[in-house]
Amino acid sequence: MRSRDGNHSFTLAICSVTLFSSLALQASEYLISYRYLIKDATLFNETFYISKAMQKCQGTPSKPIYLDNPKHQNLKDLLSAYDSEFIEYIHKLGLHVEHKDITTNFKNSSTTVLTLKTTCFKVDFNENFAIIAPLK
Amino acid sequence: MKYSLLLVALLSSSSLFGANKAAPTEPAVSNITVVCPTGSCNKPTEVVAEKACPNPKAHKEMPAAAQEEVLMEDANIRISVTGQGVAPMNTSSPAQAYALAKRAATADAYRLIAEKVKGVRIDGEDTIQNMMVKRSTVRTSVRAMVRNANVVETTFKEGLCEVEMEITLSHSQFAQ
Repeated sequence: MRSRDGNHSFTLAICSVTLFSSLALQASEYLISYRYLIKDATLFNETFYISKAMQKCQGTPSKPIYLDNPKHQNLKDLLSAYDSEFIEYIHKLGLHVEHKDITTNFKNSSTTVLTLKTTCFKVDFNENFAIIAPLK
Repeated sequence: MKYSLLLVALLSSSSLFGANKAAPTEPAVSNITVVCPTGSCNKPTEVVAEKACPNPKAHKEMPAAAQEEVLMEDANIRISVTGQGVAPMNTSSPAQAYALAKRAATADAYRLIAEKVKGVRIDGEDTIQNMMVKRSTVRTSVRAMVRNANVVETTFKEGLCEVEMEITLSHSQFAQ
């Protein structure tokens, strides 16, 4: 005998799938690298590369950052809007420091390079915000 | 015969006094320190003899100068540095100058942390030609990975940006 709410679990499952799929509108992986060079205490060069991963990355997301995204911007636009926050976040994740200093006949010259090696980030675009987390 | 005996007696006495005088010419060893590099060895592996210090005040200050923070197993070490950076000459606005100077100061602070934690490699080279110094070069370098450093304070005054940064190190971060 079939109850009046016999399809209840099926309806609930459909609703939950729709809800979660609407929350996580798009999840994808991006490769991000960052490098800047300081020459004689002055910023000389700064590069920031973003590229969509063409292969699936290995690892689990850790230490995510949440960025508001009410205008549904893509990652490049979003990061250019929140560049200072994201660069601060990258500093927290860890940068490779390479410093060289040369003093010739009492004239000093120094070069410091800070690098984030190419890292795969998982980016979840939700309705009003995006979650960016490196895969480790 | 008498004179020969007298001569022998004089020679023997002079040689005895000479031996007594020669002994103090050796360096006076006042303090002997046993250095054990591993810290767990029973027998002394190396004995360093310290010469008598002419200035006793300086000798007293040595242990204080040699004192340095050691990362113990149950304690953390907080390292604080101040990095400095200047803005390039061709900036379009003061805000851009501030942002660029801050970036340079942050990198300098990271470099200082790396130098403090990991150490600096120093290479020196002097070229002498015809008894004159032709070229003197000192190269220093450091390579490290720095993470979880916190910016405490940022100041920008007269084109110079200073970033005070600190990092907390625990023993587990260095555990093998």
